[in-house]
Order: sequence, then structure tokens, then C-alpha cells
Amino acid sequence: MRIIGDTNIPFLSYRKIALTISAIVVLIGLALIFAGFFNPHLGIGLNFGIDFTGGTQVIAKFHEAPDLARLRASLANLEGGTPVIQSFDEAEKHEVIIRVENPEDEEGDFTRPIIDLLHAEYNGALGDRFDLNTQGSQALTLELSEANPDGVEGDGEQIEAYYEPMADAVLKYRKEHGIFNSVSELDEVAELSAGVRSYIQDEDGVGAFSLLGAESVGPTVGSDLKRQASLAIGLSLLGMLIYIWIRFQLPYGIGAVAALFHDVIVTLTALALTGREINLPTIAALLTLVGYSVNDTVVVFDRVRENLRLRRGEDLEGLMNTSINQVLSRTIITSGTTLMVVLSLYIFGGDVINTFAFVLLIGILVGTYSSIFVAAPVALWVSKLLAARRERRRKAGRK
Amino acid sequence: MDRKIIWRIVVIVAVVAAAALSLSQRNINLGLDLSGGIHLVLQVETDDAIKAELDDAMHRLVSQAESEGMALSSGTADQEGLRFRVEVPPDVDRSGLREIAGDFLPEYDVSVSGTTWTFTFKPNVEKNVRDLAVRQALETIRNRVDQFGVAEPVIQRQGLESDRILVQLPGVDDPTRVKEIISHTAFLEWKEVVAGPAPDRETLLTRFGGQVPADAEVATGDRKDLEDNVIGRDYYLLKRSAIVTGRDLRTARRGQGQFGEAVVNFFLVPAGGDKFAEFTSTHIGEPAAIVLDGKVISAPVIRSRIRDEGYIEGNFDIASAEDLSLKLRAGALPASITYLEERTVGPSLGRDSVVRGVRAAVAGLVIVMIFMLVYYRMAGLNADLALVLNIVILLGAMAYFGATLTLPGIAGVILTIGMAVDANVLIFERIREELRVGKTARSAVDTGFSRAFGTILDANLTTLIAALFLFQFGTGPIKGFAVTLSIGILASVFTAVFVSRTLFMLVLAGKDRVETLSV
Repeated sequence: MRIIGDTNIPFLSYRKIALTISAIVVLIGLALIFAGFFNPHLGIGLNFGIDFTGGTQVIAKFHEAPDLARLRASLANLEGGTPVIQSFDEAEKHEVIIRVENPEDEEGDFTRPIIDLLHAEYNGALGDRFDLNTQGSQALTLELSEANPDGVEGDGEQIEAYYEPMADAVLKYRKEHGIFNSVSELDEVAELSAGVRSYIQDEDGVGAFSLLGAESVGPTVGSDLKRQASLAIGLSLLGMLIYIWIRFQLPYGIGAVAALFHDVIVTLTALALTGREINLPTIAALLTLVGYSVNDTVVVFDRVRENLRLRRGEDLEGLMNTSINQVLSRTIITSGTTLMVVLSLYIFGGDVINTFAFVLLIGILVGTYSSIFVAAPVALWVSKLLAARRERRRKAGRK
Repeated sequence: MDRKIIWRIVVIVAVVAAAALSLSQRNINLGLDLSGGIHLVLQVETDDAIKAELDDAMHRLVSQAESEGMALSSGTADQEGLRFRVEVPPDVDRSGLREIAGDFLPEYDVSVSGTTWTFTFKPNVEKNVRDLAVRQALETIRNRVDQFGVAEPVIQRQGLESDRILVQLPGVDDPTRVKEIISHTAFLEWKEVVAGPAPDRETLLTRFGGQVPADAEVATGDRKDLEDNVIGRDYYLLKRSAIVTGRDLRTARRGQGQFGEAVVNFFLVPAGGDKFAEFTSTHIGEPAAIVLDGKVISAPVIRSRIRDEGYIEGNFDIASAEDLSLKLRAGALPASITYLEERTVGPSLGRDSVVRGVRAAVAGLVIVMIFMLVYYRMAGLNADLALVLNIVILLGAMAYFGATLTLPGIAGVILTIGMAVDANVLIFERIREELRVGKTARSAVDTGFSRAFGTILDANLTTLIAALFLFQFGTGPIKGFAVTLSIGILASVFTAVFVSRTLFMLVLAGKDRVETLSV
């Protein structure tokens, strides 16, 4: 089977319009990013997440669809400014993500106050009953050992050893289901003795929420991560540049770097426009995209280089067109397969990895486009420029 | 069959068998973001340790001088200048004092100006004190975590001379409690109670004319009712210098009192026992305050002389007795701790991520394999086999090197699936081109592989360069991503170039002339 037959598309004839469009997109993107950078209150530009800005976020799962207004009201007195509260993942999972800046760039434990306020708002009815949704197996073991509903004889350690597996089983259920909706769900935990089951069902309670995750990044770590990320991006770009410089002639190096720059800016623009957060995994995705973009360009240039040896004297533009057409089916198939898996990641991967997949999705599309419509035209343009200069020098020398 | 082919098959079988073996013997480590758990970066406030050291040295000097009949007035500690000053009255025997200083404070330089003696850290002492504080904090945290029974905890210093400590505890289901216990800046002291408890500061100080005596300080504790609810605040006037501190404590554990109620038993080291015995023998019937982080948590009355073994009672239930004994046992952190970073992933979120990641990987894999099969027919089968081997090798290598699989790492595996076929696509497209210009199957395969090889190398090296720079992120999910991506790239070059080539050789072997090739 073949998707692409022998094509002979004069890609480089469209270079003016393609480069113009790319240049406009890149300029708009840069304008957006810089405007957002210098005027954070505009709400445009790149949206850096807590990995870089510092801050705190808590992800909680509720029994029923959480009322965001009530959540907001309950957290109104939090130090550090107004928290941003959004629903997380699929709506039917009743999960929310709460984000807040740390008070005046302080270091400290800032997840705790959020959790305490949530408890105060939602779990008042629980009193001092043991909360199956937020406490852990060690605490449950201790609680059961103290109450000793099965009347186990022996010293403290023996009693704990008896209750520990049951506590673990209860927590395993929570791990699998995310939250206990009511104590009656304990009927499904087979490991419990009748005494323990009825004790927990009578004496313990289920709070309104369970905690899925909590993160807090202080200013020191935030600025460290920022430095590391810029360093990683800067060094990898430099690495690419050196690599291409060694492997190819100057015009191709410039073409590849132009394409790379184009891809990164366009992807960042897409991130800015969608307001997606830039965190550590996003940086990883951007670096992968850098690798992918150069990879794609290298395949095209490799063929150009090969054809330059085989068909000496042929016009460079025609030769580049031929080369692009020759590798076209590979370009499309590889982009296609990579796109398929990234799409599968985008669809199935969940909220945690979604932005990562998004970056790659955009990056692969843009990277494929840029190998043909940015890298090659720029390389051609620089080659012509250099050739013209040589020609002028030669003429000047003759006179 | 050709010797060369047999050779190649042996290499392939050996590599795959090694991968499968390491996969069967070791599990791939799951990162915190998949297993659930807590990641903390703590900073040890080593300034506290410097201050404590200066205070302690000053105290030692003054009390030793006093015991030899020299009355010095306590001076002031200058933390920034790493020194403290004491006033030495003119009648004090100077050479005797110098002797004491030499014996008891060898790590200080002494300079005398009139009646003021200044004791300054000798070079390197500062560094040692800070270093010791960090190491002690590390040890303390390690102790506390051990008590918690977490499997495979990571507790290490970030860098050789840094004051940061990294703590990673996988699989924890109650992060709040762990955090409470780990990071509790339990600076523990037993102090003599001068006055109190009183309901407020004024009442407390009436006996002293409203002034805090020079050698004392005011501390507060929660007043609790029988149900352990906080109903107010108690004010105490405590001696500034501690009787014993957490450093004198050998161990503490939850125990049972006479009536079966929960108590906390504690045991002191011999030196601490001596100090405590001396104090308790003269203060029977008086309270001694247990001060944790400057807060009075309990002020039990001394019932008898205690040398190295005693117990604390006070409205404990099992959990709170356990907590207090843990805090006592873990001892006093020599310096307080600040959080720099916290990342907690609940076990259910981690589990959810694994399920979704695997689903995405399988979906991606199936789609790509079907596509390759449809598009390249027999050669597609070849590529699919190479892809499966690629994943086996990738996972096997990860298990072998003890690499950690993180959520971005799973994304890396998925990405590898997509990009690994790239090498095969490059080769197959090249073979097709060669066939189109009329070459025989055998020579088309040969030229296809040799021509594509350079491109494959170039193309994969670029991605490898990007992946290598991700390593500098040190710990965490990103490093996991870089590891999987790098191993994946190397494995894909091996499978596409070596394994696929061998499969083609097998197909073409034994036939003199092959006219058609399913590609």
C-alpha cells in the first residue's frame, strides 16, 4: 500500500507565502509572550505554573459535584491571595484543583492551611470521629488497636499486628476508588472481621473529600527550577546548533535553527493562547519537540546532501524540491505514527499529562510543516545569498 | 543457513533474553507520581545551631567558672560575628579563667579588652557546626521515618555541603500525618518551672513586679479539658537554661500507666541522667516543663528522683502518646527546618495515572502496529516485531539499571513507540525507492539499509542530545522521562537496524533469486 506516490510538488515555489505566514505567526507570538511577560496583569502571554512561580496547589475529590462558589467562600480567608479553583479531570469524578500563591514569597508549609480550611467547611459534622477519607492506614491501625473491637489479648504490638492488615485493606479500597462515599462501602472489604466492620461503621465517619495530591513550591526551589529549565533549553539548542554545524554546511545549519526557533515560538504561542500552564513536564515536552523538529529537518537535509553529490550542477531549488518529494512519504508516515501515539496520550492520558501531550501534538504538526516550509527555504535563501556574494567577489577580483 | 545470520540471531536472542530476564527478576521502580507518596525538600536553618552553640558555650564557661568560685556576668552572643562576650570582674583570677577556657572551649579564640572577654570561633568551626547540624537533622529525620515503616525511603542531603535535605517516601497514604512527624521542628527541652501556670502574663509576673527575671523566660502551652479540646492558654515562667535537652534522650516509647492509661516512657543517656538526677532530687513535688519548640506541651510534677528512666502522664490516648514518644525519640532537631518544596501524590491519583498511561500506551501501540502491517505488509510484520522487541529491551534495561518509571516516563515510552518506527519507515521507504528503480530485492535491501543508516544515526542523535540535557533536572519525573527516552532511542536504533536487517536476511536466505519483496 502507498499513500503518497511519486510526487513532484514544487514546495519551494511557495516559500515566499509560507515564510511570510510563518514570520507573521512568530511575530504575533513573540509580541503576545513579551507583552504578557512585562504586563502580567493583562492575563495574556505564558502562564507559568507553580513549578516556576512558586505557590501551592491541592487536588481534592468530593462525594458529589463540588459547589465551586462554596469552596471559594470557604477559602476566602487564606493567606496569600485569592485562590484559583477549577474542576479537575472529568466532571463526573468530582475533582477540583485549588491553586494559590504563597504569602509574600515565604517558605513554609502552605498545603496545610488549605486542608484545614476544607476540613472546617465540609467535615464539621464528623466531629472527632476518625475520617476514613483523609487519614491513613497507620492511624487507623492505632485507632483500632486502642478500641480493640475484637478483644484481642496480648501486648500493644500483638494487638497492632492483628489490626494492621485490616487497616491496610480499608486503605487499599480507598486507593482503588479514590474516596469512600459512605461507611456502608466497607461491606465490600472482605478482609475485615465482623467486629471491626461494625466498629468502623458505627464509630468512624467519611469526610466530604479525599486528597488526591498537594504541591507547594517555595521561591528558592521555584527560581532554581526556572534557572535549570532555561539552562536545559539553552544548552540543548546550543547542542543542536553545534551538531548541525558539524554535520552540515552553514546554510543548512541556519535553516534548521530557524525551523527550530519557529517551532518553539509557535508552540509557546499555542500555550499562551490556550492559557495552559507551563510546568516541568511542559519543559520536557518542549525539549522533546526540539529533538523531533531537528530530527525531521535532518532527514530532509540528509537527502539534499546526498543528491548534491549525485547530481552535481543541478539547480539547488529543483534539487531541494526533488529531495523533499523523495522523503515526503517518510515524513508523512513518521509524523503520522508519532501523531497517532501522541493523540492516544492526549485522549487517554488524563489531566496530569494533558498539556505534555498538547505540546507534542502541536509540535509535531508544526515541526513537520517547518522542515519543508521553513528549514529548506531558509537554507536555500542563505545559500543563494552566499553564492551571490562569492560571485560579486569573483567579479571584483577579475577587474 | 548463512553463518552470519546465525550469529546475528544469537546476538538478538541474547539481548532479548537478558532484557526479559532482568524484567522477570526485578520490578521497575515506580516514581512517586505513580506509586503515590511524598517528596519534600527541607532546609535546615543552621543559624539556629550556631546560636545554640554560642549560648551553650557561654553557659558552660559561666557555670564552670562559677563552680570554681569565679563570678562572671553572662554576656551576649553575637551570632553574625560568631562570637560571644562576657564581662569579667577585676577580682577574678585571670590565669585560672584562661585555663578553664582552654579546657572547656578549645574551639574558641579569646581576646581580652579591659574587663570584656570575647570568645570567637576558630576558623572552620562555623562550617563544622553547620555541617553537624545538617547531619544531625538528617539522622533525626531518618529515625522518624524508620519508625513510620515506609519501604525504600530516600533521605539524603542535596549536595555535599548543602543545608538542604531531600525526603522521598513512596506509597504513603496519609501525607499530612507523615509531614507532621517528619518536619516537626521538635526542639525538645526540659526546663525548670519558676512560676505558673497562670491564666495570663500579668498574673504570672505579679510576684516579680511585672518584670521577667534575667535568667527566665515566659512560655505558653495549650490548656485542655478532659476531652483534649483546647480551652485556653497557660502561661509559665521557665528557667532560661534547660535541665536536659533532646540530645540527652536515649529513647522514648508509648507505655501503660498503673491504671492502663497511655503514658510515655523515656530513657536518658548517662550524662543526661546525671543532670536530671541532680535536678529532680532537689525539686520533688515541683513541676518541670517539657518544652517542644518553645511551647510547653506538658508540665508534669516530679514525683521522685529520676536518673535515667521516667514516664510522662497526661491525658494521652494511644495515638497522641505514640506521637509524643515519636517526637521525643526522634530527639531534638539541633536546628529548625523550613519547607522549600512539597509534592504529595495520593495513591489513588498515582494509580489512576498508571491505568491511563498504560491504556494510552496500548492504544498507541495497537494503532501503530496495525498501520505498519497494512501499509508495509510482510515488512510491516518485521517492523512490528522490532517494535515489540524494542519495548521489551527498553523495559528490561530500565529494570536492570534500576531506573525509575514516572508519568512523563510513560509518555516517553509512548513517544518511543511512535518514533521507533521512524527508523523502519526510513529503511522501508528507501527499499521501495530502490525497488522502483529496478533493483533486485536483495540489492534493494542492502542499499536501503546502508543508505538509511546515516540518516537514522543523524536523526536519532538529535533527539538523544535533547534527552541528555534533560538529565540536569536532577531528580523527579523529568529525569525519568529523559531516561526512558534515551534508552528508547538506543533500543530503537538496535531493533530497526540490526533486528529488522536480520529478519530481511532470513526471508531472503536460501533463495538464489528473489523477484518480489513484500514491502
